[in-house]
Amino acid sequence: MNQPRSLVAVVDDDESVRESLPDLVREFGFAVEAYPSAEAFLAAGNLAETRCLVLDIGMPGMSGPELHRELRRRQRAIPVVFITAHQDETIRPRLLAEGAVECLFKPFSDADLLAALNTALRVA
Amino acid sequence: MEARLDHSSGEIRRLQRCISDLVGLLALPAIWTGGDVTLIGRTLLDALREMLDLDLVYVRMRSPSDEVPLEMARVVADRGLPTSATAIGDQLRGWLGDGMAVAPRTVLVTIGGQDLSVAPLRLGLQEDLGMLVAASRRPDFPGQTDRLLLNVAANHAALGLREAHLLAAQRRLAGELDRRVADRTRELARANAELRNEVAERRAVEDRLRWEERQLKQSEARKAAILDSALECIVTIDHEGRITEFNPAAERTFGYARDHAIGSLLADLIVPPEQREAHRLGFVRYLATGESRLLGRRLEMTAMRADGSRFPVELSITRIPVDGPPSFTGYLRDITERREYEASIRRSEAFLAEAQRLSLTGSFSWRLPGDEISWSEQLYRIFGFEPGSAVSLERIASRVHPDDRAVLGEMVLAARTSGRDFEFEHRIRLPDDSIRHLHLVAHAVPGRSGNREYIGAVQDVTDRRQSELALSKARSDLAHVTRVSTLGALTASIAHEVNQPLSGIITNAGTCLRMLAADPPNVEGARETARRTIRDGNRASEVITRLRGLFSGKDIASEPLDLNDAAREVLALSLGELQQAGVVSRLELAEDLPTVHGDRVQLQQVMLNLVRNAADAMAAIEDRPRQLLIRTAHEGSDAVRLMVEDSGVGIDPEQIEHLFDAFYTTKEAGMGVGLSVSRSIIDRHQGRLWATPNRGPGATFGFTVPCLATGRSP
Repeated sequence: MNQPRSLVAVVDDDESVRESLPDLVREFGFAVEAYPSAEAFLAAGNLAETRCLVLDIGMPGMSGPELHRELRRRQRAIPVVFITAHQDETIRPRLLAEGAVECLFKPFSDADLLAALNTALRVA
Repeated sequence: MEARLDHSSGEIRRLQRCISDLVGLLALPAIWTGGDVTLIGRTLLDALREMLDLDLVYVRMRSPSDEVPLEMARVVADRGLPTSATAIGDQLRGWLGDGMAVAPRTVLVTIGGQDLSVAPLRLGLQEDLGMLVAASRRPDFPGQTDRLLLNVAANHAALGLREAHLLAAQRRLAGELDRRVADRTRELARANAELRNEVAERRAVEDRLRWEERQLKQSEARKAAILDSALECIVTIDHEGRITEFNPAAERTFGYARDHAIGSLLADLIVPPEQREAHRLGFVRYLATGESRLLGRRLEMTAMRADGSRFPVELSITRIPVDGPPSFTGYLRDITERREYEASIRRSEAFLAEAQRLSLTGSFSWRLPGDEISWSEQLYRIFGFEPGSAVSLERIASRVHPDDRAVLGEMVLAARTSGRDFEFEHRIRLPDDSIRHLHLVAHAVPGRSGNREYIGAVQDVTDRRQSELALSKARSDLAHVTRVSTLGALTASIAHEVNQPLSGIITNAGTCLRMLAADPPNVEGARETARRTIRDGNRASEVITRLRGLFSGKDIASEPLDLNDAAREVLALSLGELQQAGVVSRLELAEDLPTVHGDRVQLQQVMLNLVRNAADAMAAIEDRPRQLLIRTAHEGSDAVRLMVEDSGVGIDPEQIEHLFDAFYTTKEAGMGVGLSVSRSIIDRHQGRLWATPNRGPGATFGFTVPCLATGRSP
């Protein structure tokens, strides 16, 4: 807990997720920032500090995968863990192929999320 | 002189008496006028016997009508004299001799001792009229007065007799004349009668002749009428082949006027030049031998019109039965139209055969009860039999697909017994094991004496069936894709809606546990996350409520509806899908089912859902038929029931209570929404939806809908 905690950003348009998920991530021992949209995240200017993105796929405006592509375009290779409420299994291999660390389907267990975050931070 | 005057008074009296007698005699001719010989004889004898007091007076007179003379006599009785005139005549001949009339002298004879003076007198010159004999016993007989009176009497008698003879002769002549006239009259009458008979006979003969002439004329008229009105050409020819009759039909057909035709040689007129020689030879042969290839037969040949054009004719020739040289009647009919008709039939048949070949349609006839079957060529091709070979029901059955033989047998039996038209589809298996689908339509044609014939067509519909199957599969696939994509979208949407709060619940619950497990426990944080867990749980519940509202939110459109009709429609909609899934479906619909009030579309959604569930439940079944039964029934007096029964995997009794929960599913690809939504729909109809395991394999799902009193059928 003494060492500076890695910053995990949660980007989700659903308010309940922005409420509950940061609490859990903090319980894992990470620092957390939550944003309601991709645009809000980019505007916040915390790209350099952010060690991992927990990114919702379907959002108004820029979608999760679009933000992911935008970051790569800017050569900000932040590890991304996608989360989604859509049960479309076909999207996962595509996202992984594009470099995503993981794609979790809601509802997911806290263990799955922790494992994904750990993987992401190792990659980073 | 004086002396004489002194004659005695006796003498005077005698003289007076003599004068009186003379007067009496002179009166006799007046009596005799018109009388016959017998009258003269009788009155003469009576008058003389009285006047002269004679003992015998006899007269013999020539009969005017007979050779034998008439003899009459008067005698005084008891003087010994014969009484009959003939006997007296004989006695007188004895006294006077045969020539008594030649020597008329008085003869004295003695009879019975008494002297009798017999005085004969001639009647007429030389006794040509007869003789008169008077005899008396008086001694002075015949005195002067006696002689005077006898002579006067004899003279008068002679005159009277002559007159009587003349009269008799006149009468005889008159009679003869009458007889002759009568004879002649009779002859004339006979001749007349004969003449009359002859006239009558002649008249009868004339009548007969006239009648025959009339008959002949009528016959001629009839013949002419027949000839004129006949549609056939009637041409008669004589033994030289010259035309003697040419009727109007012949005029029209051949284009020759009758006047022109008559007298012409038939061969020159209507036989085409190239056939004339054959015609002539045939005619000559017939005349020579009586042998003909044409007589009494119906044959077809080519004839020629006046304009030289040829046309086919049907010809029959008969010999006219008359004496003398033979003559013939030919009946000709222009058969151009018939030929064209025949050609048209042949073309039609060819077209039909071609059409049968192209459309893969064969035709057949099947005569009952003998089972005589005839097939078109195409039908042989369809069945793969040798064309023309004998066809029997057994042979047909040998080709029919084993699964369809029972159907064929039923159709044959029904055809035999009912006589109704029939139509059905069956498959045949050809020797190369290929399967063909045939569609058969047969129409019953009643025949004579109760027999029946079926005329039918058989079409090879294999390609169509395969196309239909392919189409059905495509449609079914499309329906499936549509359903999947619709459901997929719905599922995704529902999942997204539900997963959000679920995700929140799990995350919060997980966080809560971690906060409580920390040292020291973050009780405040745990409380907060537990609160959020409850909130998210409520959110999830709201989603479900919204979802139900999505299906049943709108007011049900209540309308009278027949559940049987609705069930039929649903099955019809699902049929392709069910067949594709190898499911055999069946309807068992209750009769007199009351009308219910409800939303047709929503109730059909429920039925469709139950039917699809049933099909899904049978998808993995391989060891038994996949059977689906939709039944309707009365449910008590105020509701109707519909059940969908399957032979699928069945349901676990323990699962039954969860079946209608939202998102509960036993299917791998299922969402667990259908039955939940179905239950909401039925609930809104004040009905009940339930499920029950079958006694055998599979399960039955059913629902009830109340039928309102107003909605019932009367």
